[in-house]
Amino acid sequence: MKIFRMASATCMLAVLLLAGAGTVARADAAPSASAAELKDAASKAPTTATLAAGDPGGALTGTVSDVPVSDSKAGLSLGDVANQVGQNKIGINFTWTLICGFLVMFMQAGFAMVEAGLCRVKNANHTYMMNFFVYGCGLFAYWILGFAIQMGGAAGNGNLGGLQPLASEHTISFFGKTWGVFGQSGMFLSGHSYDVGVMVIFLFQMVFMDTALTIVTGACAERWKFLTFSVSSVLMGAITYPLFANWAWGGGWLAQLGTNMGLGKGYADFAGSGVVHAVGGVTALACAMIVGPRIGKFNRDGSANAILGHDISAVLIGCFILAFGWFGFNPGSTLGASAAGCLRIGSVAVNTMLAGCTGTFGALLYMWVLKGKPDASMSANGLLAGLVAITAPSGFVNPICSGIIGLIAGVLVCVSVAFVENTLKVDDPVGAISVHGACGLWGVISVGLFADGTSNYGGAWNGVTGSVTGLFYGDASQLVAQLVGVSTLVGFVFGFSYALNWVLDIFLGHRVSAESEVGGLDLPEMGQLGYPEFVFTPEPATLTVAAQAAVA
Amino acid sequence: MAATKSQGRSFSLFMIGVTATAVGIGAFSSGMGKLALIAGLVVLAASFGLFLKIKPEEGEVADKGQPTVPRLAGVLAAFLGWVIVLFGLNLSTNVSGRMITTLIGIAVSLVGALVLLPTAANKNAIWKA
Repeated sequence: MKIFRMASATCMLAVLLLAGAGTVARADAAPSASAAELKDAASKAPTTATLAAGDPGGALTGTVSDVPVSDSKAGLSLGDVANQVGQNKIGINFTWTLICGFLVMFMQAGFAMVEAGLCRVKNANHTYMMNFFVYGCGLFAYWILGFAIQMGGAAGNGNLGGLQPLASEHTISFFGKTWGVFGQSGMFLSGHSYDVGVMVIFLFQMVFMDTALTIVTGACAERWKFLTFSVSSVLMGAITYPLFANWAWGGGWLAQLGTNMGLGKGYADFAGSGVVHAVGGVTALACAMIVGPRIGKFNRDGSANAILGHDISAVLIGCFILAFGWFGFNPGSTLGASAAGCLRIGSVAVNTMLAGCTGTFGALLYMWVLKGKPDASMSANGLLAGLVAITAPSGFVNPICSGIIGLIAGVLVCVSVAFVENTLKVDDPVGAISVHGACGLWGVISVGLFADGTSNYGGAWNGVTGSVTGLFYGDASQLVAQLVGVSTLVGFVFGFSYALNWVLDIFLGHRVSAESEVGGLDLPEMGQLGYPEFVFTPEPATLTVAAQAAVA
Repeated sequence: MAATKSQGRSFSLFMIGVTATAVGIGAFSSGMGKLALIAGLVVLAASFGLFLKIKPEEGEVADKGQPTVPRLAGVLAAFLGWVIVLFGLNLSTNVSGRMITTLIGIAVSLVGALVLLPTAANKNAIWKA
């Protein structure tokens, strides 16, 4: 009996051990099966000899043999495949972001053509040169300091690999909460910031910054000293723009309004109606006030004279270049085309197109009905107004709301141009203050109204779970966050820009001499006429009389 | 007078100063960084001194200057409106209250930007001459 019990226990133990071994074997079988599948796939990959015969259909190129193997002795593993998937995601996002950045860079050409076309021929060289040189001024200033201020604390973007070298944000404590103020890493793109992901975000953010800088050149055209423009642009690229951009996009306090104060998802600005266009627009207003109006723009009774541009074809073609570049501006702001809601890039692009379309209609019909003619320059400004206004909400709204936002912007720009000229008596040769300032602010506000809560960029925005939702879709607090952004633009950015340029006016002087202004800036400022072989008709008498009085 | 060699020299000095200052800020933890920062600020100051020196060479500008006090009032009003918004966010915790204080702050800023400053700018405007 005792022997029988011992034998039974031994048999039961043996059965248990065998069952366990079988389980372990089955568990081992899963990785063995997948490893076997990988090896089988690798063995079936086209050989070098097969590929040497050519692959016109593309069926043989891009196979398992193109996946890098970390251990050549062990062969292809699941880890290798997973790593390649990660590389593919980041590679797709890098490529998308860079190409979009290249498109935005090309917008500089569009801005140059629009501005120069709306100015007189005697200032063509000077106006083109401001738009040309602002690229260099802004890029250099941003490289040495501005990028660090804006993005120095922006680590955490999963689309571009994490951007972990940019993890230094200066913060302050205010009413019991911690708020980001400016970044502190990334100067000269050196040290830890010499990183593949950082390079991509630098290029993309730099071209946005330069758009803001170039806006100011339009408002001050035809009387701005080239030296002072250069200094002002460097300082704007190094300090003014990066500060606000950090607050909105770089982990700063405006974005934290959601996490710290429960105001929606914090200040939300998808592609920069506020960060880029309104910053440029309010700075343009500040500089235009300091520079003063062109000689002959206003009569003694305060009424305004129309000073016509010399090349409407450049204006309209320039607008198309801008509209094309805007396909990089807005859709590119997803910072990727793979994962985290990035497949919404088509929606963003269509929203952009629609707002530009209805913006054109808004301005053109306004001018046609009220003034009797479908004015070309205002129609051009209408297109730009729609594009500017949709820039902030483009990632958060549906196509119908995009159309509405653009239409309102098209009408708003016409009203604003008249207000700036007739009420404020501020001379803006290209309408930059209205297009970018007024319509940029409208774009910021429209996020708080029209964001429909259907977007999903990784399940959160500015660290707050959920989707950006505006007043009309149930969240009034988002509108408050947007209005705080508006206040910062009108109060801080405008005030800071005015103070900075006031100092520059004391030391450098913004305005050229009356003699240079009357004769045209091309020769005295640039040393060469824009069109040296052409003979042009004299200016109207009203401008000449005022010019003589100014020079006397 | 317009663009001159003096302008080119002063702008070059400004760019050197800005670059050295940025190097100094970036490398501030080291002794060389502190030295670069001081040097950069000195060069920047020198460039602004040069700007001031060559400013009269530009000649007579059409603008006859704007009164300082109204300009200062306008700038301060713009800033004040923003400060009102920041503090107003902490005065009330409900959305309606924050909306009201924010709108009040924006209005104050707009008075500075669109009323006081344009009034100052147009006081001695060239078209009134």
